[in-house]
Amino acid sequence: MSVRRTLAWDWYPGTIPENVVIDETAYVETTFSFFLFRGQLPGAVKYGRGASTYLGTMFDVGPQGRVELGEYALVHGARIICDSEVIIGDYALISWNVVFMDTYRLPFDSRQRRKELELVPGRASRMAFANVTATPIRVESNVWIGFDTCVLPGVTIGEGSVVGAKSVVTESVPPFTVVAGNPARVIRELKRTDDGRAGD
Amino acid sequence: MNKAAPIPRPIGDGERPSPGRWTQGALPDNVRLGPNTVVTDDLAFKRFHSKAVDALIIGANCTMDGVHFDLGLNGRMVIGDYCYFTNAVLLCELEVRIGNYVVIGWNTTISDTDFHPLAPAERIADAIACSPLGKGKLRPQVLKKAVIIEDDVWIGPNVTILKGTRIGRGAWIEAGSVVTRDVPPMARLLGNPAQVIGQIE
Repeated sequence: MSVRRTLAWDWYPGTIPENVVIDETAYVETTFSFFLFRGQLPGAVKYGRGASTYLGTMFDVGPQGRVELGEYALVHGARIICDSEVIIGDYALISWNVVFMDTYRLPFDSRQRRKELELVPGRASRMAFANVTATPIRVESNVWIGFDTCVLPGVTIGEGSVVGAKSVVTESVPPFTVVAGNPARVIRELKRTDDGRAGD
Repeated sequence: MNKAAPIPRPIGDGERPSPGRWTQGALPDNVRLGPNTVVTDDLAFKRFHSKAVDALIIGANCTMDGVHFDLGLNGRMVIGDYCYFTNAVLLCELEVRIGNYVVIGWNTTISDTDFHPLAPAERIADAIACSPLGKGKLRPQVLKKAVIIEDDVWIGPNVTILKGTRIGRGAWIEAGSVVTRDVPPMARLLGNPAQVIGQIE
């Protein structure tokens, strides 16, 4: 595959990693989004047709992490902390300063956490790699997530749902539902229209 | 005290690309870093205004990646050993004390002050004092209370920690929480305002 790995409009002198697959109709605002990318899998990040990521997006993807952006998915500025899978569906709208974390990166047990923190200063990268469980996050198609929202490990957000700004989503959200708050609670339900899209 | 010691540049070995944004400037004279501690980002001391002696003391083996040390004129901050902060904003007008092995996630804010008075009339006086026309005018008193974070505390991304809070040893503050009062040791918190949702073993 001989895709261009730099972006003509980029302010940051970076490149798109070889194992990131970007549809020719997709848009990447800056390669700075891959500054923390350490993915080893083939296709560790995939951009679907018409998908886009903008300035605040950061793929903090570990060696076994996999991120997929569906068709027309628009990611304004998500911090994607991924050691397993973060799958974002078609037509999803993701606002700024949204955090998707499929892992806590450090163990709950403070003695084990100390051990890991003692290793960090010896690494030139200064990154934490503790072997803690990661559980995939799924954002289904046509989901809209407001700014400053955090989505915690293992959460699925159902098709057509809306997450209000500054929410913290701790459990899965059913399809066609509006949730908001910290922790996020169901506010109301949306009608599914005949063409399969959410509506009032 | 290390006079204008250059801040170490931790990166550039190929593990992570050298981004050209690591701090090139000098440390303020009243900042002390322990051995093997790194501070990154050109903006780390952009809003560091403290004139206190030993205003900021950071222990050994800490990683302060993209942290903003926004200390006011009399602000004092102490950070222990083996701490790991990512893009935290630390606002300190009085005192912030952070223990050892503390982890702070991306875009988290800690503040020991209300910034402005609560009373409307005083707030007008403050707005004037803070304005370009306010030169020489004294600002009204603003509520400040020390923030204390004990050893082994884990704080997630997008968290806000307000003035006067003491976070007990080993507490786990979930992503997005807003901490408004004291946190018992080993508690797990979530929400706005943050509530205890469990215990860490």
